[in-house]
Amino acid sequence: MEPIVVVTTFFAASIRMAIPLALAGLGESISEKSGLLNIGVEAIMLCGAFFSFMVVFSTGSFFLGILAGMLGGLSMSMLHAFLSIRFKANQTIVGLAQNFLALGLTSFLFLMSFGQTTTLPSTRVLGDLPIPLLSSIPFIGQVLFSQNLFVYLTLGCMVLAHICFYKTDFGVALHAVGEHPIAADTAGLQVHTIRYIAALFNGILGGLGGAYLTIVKLGFFQENITAGKGYIALVAVILGKRTPFGILGAALVIGGAEALQIRLQTAGTGIPSQLFAMFPYLMTIAALLLTIGSANDPAALGIPYDRDKR
Amino acid sequence: MPVLEMKDICKSFFGTYANRDVCLEVREGEIHALLGENGAGKTTLMNILYGMYQKDAGSITIDGHEIVFKSPKDAIARHIGMVHQHFTLVPTLTVQQNITLGLRDSGYPFSRERARCEHIDRLSDSYGLKTHSRTLVKKLSVGEMQRVEILKLLYRKAKILILDEPTAVLTPQESDHLFAMFKQLKAEGCSIIVITHHIQEVLDHCDRVTVLRDGCSISTVETKGIDAKQLSTMMIGRELVPVARERQNHHMDAPVLELVDFGFKRNGGKVGSVNLSLKQSEILGIAGVDGNGQKELLETLMGLRHHEKGKVVCCQQDISNASTAERRLAGIGYISDDRHRDSLVLDMGIAENLLLRPAQSTTTTQGRMVNKQCMLEQATRVVKEFSIKSHGLQEPMRFLSGGNQQKLVLAREFIGSPKVIIAFQPTRGLDIGATEFVHNQLLAMRSAGCATLLVSTNLEEILLLSDRIAVIHEGSIMATIENKAVDITRIGLLMAGVKTEGAAR
Repeated sequence: MEPIVVVTTFFAASIRMAIPLALAGLGESISEKSGLLNIGVEAIMLCGAFFSFMVVFSTGSFFLGILAGMLGGLSMSMLHAFLSIRFKANQTIVGLAQNFLALGLTSFLFLMSFGQTTTLPSTRVLGDLPIPLLSSIPFIGQVLFSQNLFVYLTLGCMVLAHICFYKTDFGVALHAVGEHPIAADTAGLQVHTIRYIAALFNGILGGLGGAYLTIVKLGFFQENITAGKGYIALVAVILGKRTPFGILGAALVIGGAEALQIRLQTAGTGIPSQLFAMFPYLMTIAALLLTIGSANDPAALGIPYDRDKR
Repeated sequence: MPVLEMKDICKSFFGTYANRDVCLEVREGEIHALLGENGAGKTTLMNILYGMYQKDAGSITIDGHEIVFKSPKDAIARHIGMVHQHFTLVPTLTVQQNITLGLRDSGYPFSRERARCEHIDRLSDSYGLKTHSRTLVKKLSVGEMQRVEILKLLYRKAKILILDEPTAVLTPQESDHLFAMFKQLKAEGCSIIVITHHIQEVLDHCDRVTVLRDGCSISTVETKGIDAKQLSTMMIGRELVPVARERQNHHMDAPVLELVDFGFKRNGGKVGSVNLSLKQSEILGIAGVDGNGQKELLETLMGLRHHEKGKVVCCQQDISNASTAERRLAGIGYISDDRHRDSLVLDMGIAENLLLRPAQSTTTTQGRMVNKQCMLEQATRVVKEFSIKSHGLQEPMRFLSGGNQQKLVLAREFIGSPKVIIAFQPTRGLDIGATEFVHNQLLAMRSAGCATLLVSTNLEEILLLSDRIAVIHEGSIMATIENKAVDITRIGLLMAGVKTEGAAR
């Protein structure tokens, strides 16, 4: 292959790898900005992946599949929000429990539906959607504008989230609720409502991230298909400092590492492929080391709001 | 007709009454004081009015209509505004964002920053509340934060303004300025409710006053035709006996505690530096507005924070690099301003809390083991001496009143007769009875030869107890003056950072 083609496909692959991380990471950042720490991103993505696959498999409609993915993610994020807000449960524990719940639940439902099979049931995947004209720009057209719907959707979400965070009253309200819920309450904001709305976005975006894995990337579902992507998304949130473009950047770095390791695995170097598989995770740890000491967590992150507390 | 009427309001927390059949009536265009001791239920009553708490019984009428507020949002819609004692501003947002937080204007959902800033600037000009609308709140001083809080109410067109202890963070001059602004608002038809426990403030600036005691409203009177003595009797239920400070002959020998060029790091990275010296049987009061480095200074002095430079000498012993335990063994006792956080383990009983001192200095331990017998004897003795009210020595501190908790802190620090006592806001949050007790104890220690560094934001307390007064501003001592015939105006100016003529030590 010509070097330019290698580079182009590498970048295009990096973007595709980054999409689920960026979507789920963006959702989580909205949740965390409001003060809800949901480490159950894995659960959200897994449910999104499973339900979107099931619906596409049985109806063949991608529209319904995407919808089902969002609803699957929502079910998990809203359960988390309900337990954390209404019952003031420990948010970390609830998130952790949900990750195992979703793992068990989706595997069980999958077995129930298809039984033990040697060949995985599969569907067709959402195809690429090159944008006319733009896709014919050399390099950039190949990397950015010959992608599937989810790539454009993700980029759109990032822009919208950026506007929402920094240019709208809702963004300011979200920030206030996460930093100082008492101040938000006395200013007339409904702290709990805003946190539920944040959880809503978290579920929708995380569910989309999960759906991407099954109905765009792979076309099949298997037990634990997310394989820790939810946790990596949490890392992207921290690396990206909860800013939309920061998260996108972090997801691209991690996604690039993933794309690179796949290429190295197949390059025939003689080095065990498991070593290459570690690469994205090593990158993550290295990147986290670089950001030590620059914590900018919302002050009320993970703390339930109780007006009557004296 | 009154603008606001609260009738027979009841509210209890965990089975204890905070408000019991409280009545309050506020007229249009008046400054109404809500006077009472700490824990009398003033703040609870106002939080009910503001929708933060739900009342258990009673009714609230505004402009003749009975209303129920589910949250502050409803109260704001009815043009009620409240400035809490602990400000409710988001430090990481700008002044403008804090002021307009939660409001909808014509640009919704987008933030129309420029228009809002212009509106805020107009308001701040017309009421003399200087501020910068684009600055982050965390960069503001406490006084500026209060101005932002008040602007927040004005921006929301509040007609009933509630302020909880507004003068606690101000110098005397700033307080006068604040009340002058209230008069302007009053002339425009606003009603202002001021929560306070300072009687003089009520007499000087307010039109009427409602006195609360133990959660009940005692009465509402015009401030004309009533004097301080009558008010204090209503407030505490008995006559106030002023604490007397006798003259003490100071020994002229070397200072007991000396801080030489003592540098400490303040929150936010600034460095403060002080020179101070204390003699035997002397109380040195440090006056200053809250947040001028007092806490950092004392915690550095106790070895709880790293010190920057200079040295500390206690009884000819250089303890600049000593650990906290060594400092205490050198004879320093420390009363923190936050007894829940720094002084007590709330889930342990009286006897155990008395053990929280360097082990070598106690008689209750043998080797590394606690002598239970000895421990209980000591606790029994302390409880009697300091008349601490509790249900037994094992009762968790959590269930004792603030006054009794503080008595225990004092008792523990006074065991082993320290040479120096560092008292940081020793009467914060205490009722008048407990305050008197603490003051008398500090004076008794002074008579016994102990040197005391009293740091307080309560100027009255400083004036009452101190032999000498130092004024702290932005982490440095502005001046040190003898406490006789002091000029309050000058102290106020020093607290604000203004050095006047003749301010030399």
